Amino acid sequence: MSRVPENPEATTSIRDESDPQMRARLAELEKTWQSPRGFIGWFTHVNHTSIGKRFLITAMVFFLLSGLLALAMRLQLLSPLNDVLDAQTYNQVMTVHGTAMMFLFAIPAMEGIAIYLAPLMVGARDMAFPRLNAFGYYVYLIGGTVFFLSLPFGLAPDAGWFNYVPLSGPEHSAGYGIDVWTTMITFIEVSALTAAVELIVTILKLRVPGMSLNRMPIFVWAVLVMSFMILFAMPSVIVASSFLMMDRLVDTAFFDVTLGGSPLLWQHLFWFFGHPEVYIILVPALGIVTSIVITFTQRPLFGYTAVVLALVGVGMISFGLWVHHMYTTGLPLMGRSFFMAASTMIAIPSGVQIYCWIATIWGSRPRYASPMIWVLGFFAIFIAGGLTGVMVASVPFDRQVHDTYFVVAHFHYVLIGGAVFPLMAGLHYWFPKITGRMIGEQLGKWSCAVTFVGFNLTFFPMHQLGLEGMPRRVYTYLPDLGWGDLNLLATGGSFVMAAGFGMILVNIIVSLRSGEVAGDNPWNASTLEWATASPPLNCNFAEQVSVKTANPLWDWHEQNQRAMVSGLSTTQRETIVTTLLDALPQSVMILPGPTIWPFVSAVVASICFLGLIFSPWFFVVGVFGTFATFVMWFIPPRYTTDPNADLPEEAKS
Amino acid sequence: MKTWIDIDASELPRLAPRTHPLWWGILSAVAIEAAVVANLLASYFYLMAQTEGPWPPAGTEAPPILWPTVFLVLLPLSSVTMWWAGRGSDRGDKRQLAIGVTASVGLALLALVARSFQIASFDVKWSDSAYGSILWTITGFHFTHVVSAILGTAVVAVYAWRGYFNPARQLGVIVDTLYWYFVAGIFVPIYLVLILAPRIL
Ligand code: HEM
Ligand SMILES: [Cu+2]
Repeated sequence: MSRVPENPEATTSIRDESDPQMRARLAELEKTWQSPRGFIGWFTHVNHTSIGKRFLITAMVFFLLSGLLALAMRLQLLSPLNDVLDAQTYNQVMTVHGTAMMFLFAIPAMEGIAIYLAPLMVGARDMAFPRLNAFGYYVYLIGGTVFFLSLPFGLAPDAGWFNYVPLSGPEHSAGYGIDVWTTMITFIEVSALTAAVELIVTILKLRVPGMSLNRMPIFVWAVLVMSFMILFAMPSVIVASSFLMMDRLVDTAFFDVTLGGSPLLWQHLFWFFGHPEVYIILVPALGIVTSIVITFTQRPLFGYTAVVLALVGVGMISFGLWVHHMYTTGLPLMGRSFFMAASTMIAIPSGVQIYCWIATIWGSRPRYASPMIWVLGFFAIFIAGGLTGVMVASVPFDRQVHDTYFVVAHFHYVLIGGAVFPLMAGLHYWFPKITGRMIGEQLGKWSCAVTFVGFNLTFFPMHQLGLEGMPRRVYTYLPDLGWGDLNLLATGGSFVMAAGFGMILVNIIVSLRSGEVAGDNPWNASTLEWATASPPLNCNFAEQVSVKTANPLWDWHEQNQRAMVSGLSTTQRETIVTTLLDALPQSVMILPGPTIWPFVSAVVASICFLGLIFSPWFFVVGVFGTFATFVMWFIPPRYTTDPNADLPEEAKS
Repeated sequence: MKTWIDIDASELPRLAPRTHPLWWGILSAVAIEAAVVANLLASYFYLMAQTEGPWPPAGTEAPPILWPTVFLVLLPLSSVTMWWAGRGSDRGDKRQLAIGVTASVGLALLALVARSFQIASFDVKWSDSAYGSILWTITGFHFTHVVSAILGTAVVAVYAWRGYFNPARQLGVIVDTLYWYFVAGIFVPIYLVLILAPRIL
């Protein structure tokens, strides 16, 4: 099928904008891929650029809200015996902050950036299941909103983000708080799983011809690993939260010791998900960092295969570490030693990653634009967090600092260093692609500096506080313990950090209005998302390309020619399907257009999830209700414009 | 920059039912469900391991074997009719497809009746002990899946009788069949662990 042109010069360039025939063709294609306008129209969008952007914006809003909660906690801890928040409120604020940061910000933000970028990077016109994508978004939006609303209504959960039983069981937590938690988890599971399935199939099947697995951008690899991790980690927390829901709702006895249940079962199931979760957040972040390093050094990645293996390795090893969260639960020594060794092993693939970045940067003359500055911030903070990670992975050390502020410092170094800084780097890097305008460069660098300083002022002192014995999850402390000064410093730092994030927000708003207009490829990057307009066309690519190398944009430029796919319809949504490994052309997928049904399904499902808090019968209602809406959504069109379907006459009626 | 045409997609099939991305989507869904079952069975073993004394706990009978065994036979049987329906659909035989899927729905409904008898004869309630909880949960989980597979296949059957499917358009049949095989197949480990193991161990 593929042929090298005898004389490439002879064929006309399809993107010759002056050719009226081509202009008409593109206009028709854009109309086919246009999302409906208007208020009702908003609920029918299915294009991945639209859904991905919504995920990102929603995640950022939840990040700001959880950040405000963090400031409230820091205000309370400013001085001993402070009374900004009472004990009960503190517990709720802390639980909502932790849970929302993990489930409503970090994971969805990564999913959002993946949903926006992965299809562009593999050259597809959209994702494999656009309607499922929309469904996942609404479920997330509704679940997250309800979760935050629980706080002002005084119904918020208060048993910490990992919600240990028996504290969270029916006996010790009456009221609806914990039910809100388990329900929110259900929402997030559903939306994360739909995103994962979607991303896996898109990456495996919708890559443009020629993009064999070994030519796939590292970011896409990272997203693939993340999605598989979601696929295998989420089921544990599904099971755990359903057990807890049933214990609370219909008196099952999973965690009730008197009836043969076991609280430790919760911890095993939760952490079998919870540890990989940290890597679900980290792995795509590593992909972001790699993309930026490649672009700003202007050279191909050193050790592509090693980096891919390292990502896959991190993903797999992370499933064997969960017990390191349970060192203090009285496990047998043998078990603890095993998990201690395994936890240390994760340093190997992480090290490989870091050496490949160093080798790529080495001897290049990197361009220190704002995305690269954020990447440098990531290096510094994440490596510091990794060091304390190696420390707490060791059993004797962990038994000293478990449940102290040392751990709070450690995981904020890893999470903010490993997720927030790379996300901000990615935001600065892809901002021109998403919005069509450059983000302010000066303010970009300054906001990074301020955030970096504020971050370290906030969290570095917590290491010392932890070593001095300050427990985590306390709403106050006594004056004569001598923790006042460092806490004051930490609170001061948190306001500096907040100022840093405020500067980012200002930068975004200003740049949206008056940023310099960006071209298709302002950074001279090598991957396909930069091969279309900024912001991308409705159809992503005026014509899908066929790639021959791993850095297509650079090579097109060098050879002054590129190959493309022709023969896709302009009147229905089509994208090419290729084989799994080598990306040979296989078929063409017709994608469904805008529809309201995913939104309706999400609303029905949400009502039933929420109803479960009050009555188990909502389970039955939910099964049939969502099924009915799914039928509406999948119902096949009566007719087809497709040339391959030789339908008999009677079926057409 | 010169652009040349490398691939002409107008020659490629539009409704390739066997290489369609949806097939991979269903496979992913199956992987998720399998992981849920693995977690449920692991929890079963965990609770068993940390219970001192017999399992099921003293005073509780293991579930009777008759009805689950009927269920175990009926489900694969319905998979055979499903497979036969698919064969028909491959050859463009709409009657065979329609009869096959309808037979599968019928057999599965019978299986559900058997299953309900079994559940009614459990010696333990879910609130009696952790054993009862996990037994009911795994059973209920699978029951729900059979119900949803039946609902989905019933919709396919309606479309089959209306003559909607043809060889190019049998994607719906193929993915539904895949899911059906999974629901039937996943009962085997459940049967082995919940029903057979307590009798022979
Ligand atoms: C923006 C700046 C942030 C500040 C000032 C901050 C501050 C805090 C504070 C004061 C606590 C409570 C510690 C305790 O009482 O034990 C906490 C807990 C927590 N934070 Fe943050 N945090 C920030 C960002 C983040 C981010 C970005 C994440 C994750 C992506 C995160 C995840 C958590 C988690 C999981 C907990 C534990 C909650 C629990 O103990 O159940 N935080 N944070
Ligand atoms: Cu861990």
